[in-house]
Amino acid sequence: MSAIIFEVKDVQYSYPGKFPALCGVDMTIRSGEKIAVIGANGTGKSTLLHLLDGLIFPHQGQVTAFGERLLENSLFDEKAAHHFRRRVGLVFQNADIQLFCPSVREDIAFGPLQFGVEEEEVNRRIMDVAQVLDIHHLLDRVPHQLSIGEKKRVAIASVLAIDPDVYLFDEPTAGLDPLTVRHIIDFMVNANRRGKTIITATHDLHIIGEIADTVYVFGRNKRIVRGGSSESVLNDRALLESNNLIHIHQHHHDGKEHVHQHLPLEQHD
Amino acid sequence: MSNALHKKRDFIERSMLSALAFLKDATLSEECANRKGFLQSLDPRFKTISFLAFLVTAVSLKSAVLIGSLYGLCLLLVFFSRIPLNYFLTRTLLFIPLFSLCIVLPTLFSMVTPGEPVWSFHVLGINAIITRPGVDGALLFVVRIATSVSLVVLLSLTTRHSELLKVLRLFGVPQLFVLTVSMCYRYLYLFATMVENIFTALKSRVGMVSRHQHGQNIVAWNIANTWNRTTQMSEEVYMAMLSRGYTGEPQLLSEFHATLKDWFWLLCALIICAGLFYRGHTL
Repeated sequence: MSAIIFEVKDVQYSYPGKFPALCGVDMTIRSGEKIAVIGANGTGKSTLLHLLDGLIFPHQGQVTAFGERLLENSLFDEKAAHHFRRRVGLVFQNADIQLFCPSVREDIAFGPLQFGVEEEEVNRRIMDVAQVLDIHHLLDRVPHQLSIGEKKRVAIASVLAIDPDVYLFDEPTAGLDPLTVRHIIDFMVNANRRGKTIITATHDLHIIGEIADTVYVFGRNKRIVRGGSSESVLNDRALLESNNLIHIHQHHHDGKEHVHQHLPLEQHD
Repeated sequence: MSNALHKKRDFIERSMLSALAFLKDATLSEECANRKGFLQSLDPRFKTISFLAFLVTAVSLKSAVLIGSLYGLCLLLVFFSRIPLNYFLTRTLLFIPLFSLCIVLPTLFSMVTPGEPVWSFHVLGINAIITRPGVDGALLFVVRIATSVSLVVLLSLTTRHSELLKVLRLFGVPQLFVLTVSMCYRYLYLFATMVENIFTALKSRVGMVSRHQHGQNIVAWNIANTWNRTTQMSEEVYMAMLSRGYTGEPQLLSEFHATLKDWFWLLCALIICAGLFYRGHTL
């Protein structure tokens, strides 16, 4: 069995002045796994990813990463922070947040440069990731001129240039056209084949089958209500319905009015 | 509703949208900088140094003719950099020298600049005399302002703003400051678009921003809302920076590569400045 990367124990977190975002979450993630965290809006999926990336810290409970407890104080140390952040990369839901540099090239270079990578090597990485994500033509563009799909690919490139062991994706396919969704799924699957751990927060059930072997369902109580193989979770229609992940859907189909639950595509009959 | 009343009620909305459109066009458009022209092909560092030399020359020379020749060179560069002349002139000549003309107006008269009278006239019972030294001084001032402003506008039009900011590093400006200003610039567009969208959404619901008082309330609400979103976004952007290894001292890419052409241009620029200084000295 592969090594444990993250261990989340009874984690609770509240944003200042707001309702609790997580109320006692337990989870174990091993190296090379493909994991999806699903749940309706506001169930704490993004909060969990921010905790795993060491951007916020639990008010109760603990998160252990690579065998060491993840503490705010420990990440104040530049060496420790770099050691951790080289290994974990987060693709934010809003690409505009992730792309803060004045050009695409600089955004991709930002991560490696902070870790002290030589400029020659950084330029080589820029070319490599541009080829993988087909964004050569965007390198000298300013981020605000890009489409949402292009921004998303550049945001992924900015993390890929760091080459972390663990990729955290926050709603990677939200609002994207089908071709871009396909590219991103292919990227995630290929990264996992290369041994990378993939953790995705999403409520897009259509992509779960490909991007996750294990699925955790977050409920309105901000806890994990079920965890298991993607197949078993996706087949539990009562669970998905009770957690706002599927709904009754009415449409025209082959000339007939058709009513069924809104399910992942592969289960549509 | 009469047309005039409609226009009056639309005043706030039109002002806001025009201001946003101007902001996007004037400060965020890099259309000219992306053209394949002479100045665009130069290394930003060499270009900035040469323009600084031109600026120092323009403010130091005391001959309007010599400064005018520098202005001629500026227009020549506009042509070779494929910038439409009328677009350039609208940006420079129409407004800024007009303001300088207002400033310089009192110096035309004998009460401020005594000397040989050129023209005199009576206004409100006072005999106003325009003097030759006054005219010469005013002309020199206006030509100097027009040339300096034109040079600065030409530099900013032909250089991408991110590169221009990076050149600041040459003058010892800290990396953190350069990064912060770059980020401000990058998010200006996002927030300008956001405010525009709020107005569009508002229009789609209520037709138009109607009464003056109501309009003021909407502008105030917009400012507060944008402030809130800015604060929230700044926290998230900081998190995104931390996530990619930022620890307080940013490292940025230095993309500049000087070629022989850049050195040759700098040499030419310095020779031109030296020539003008020499000519100014011997006049």
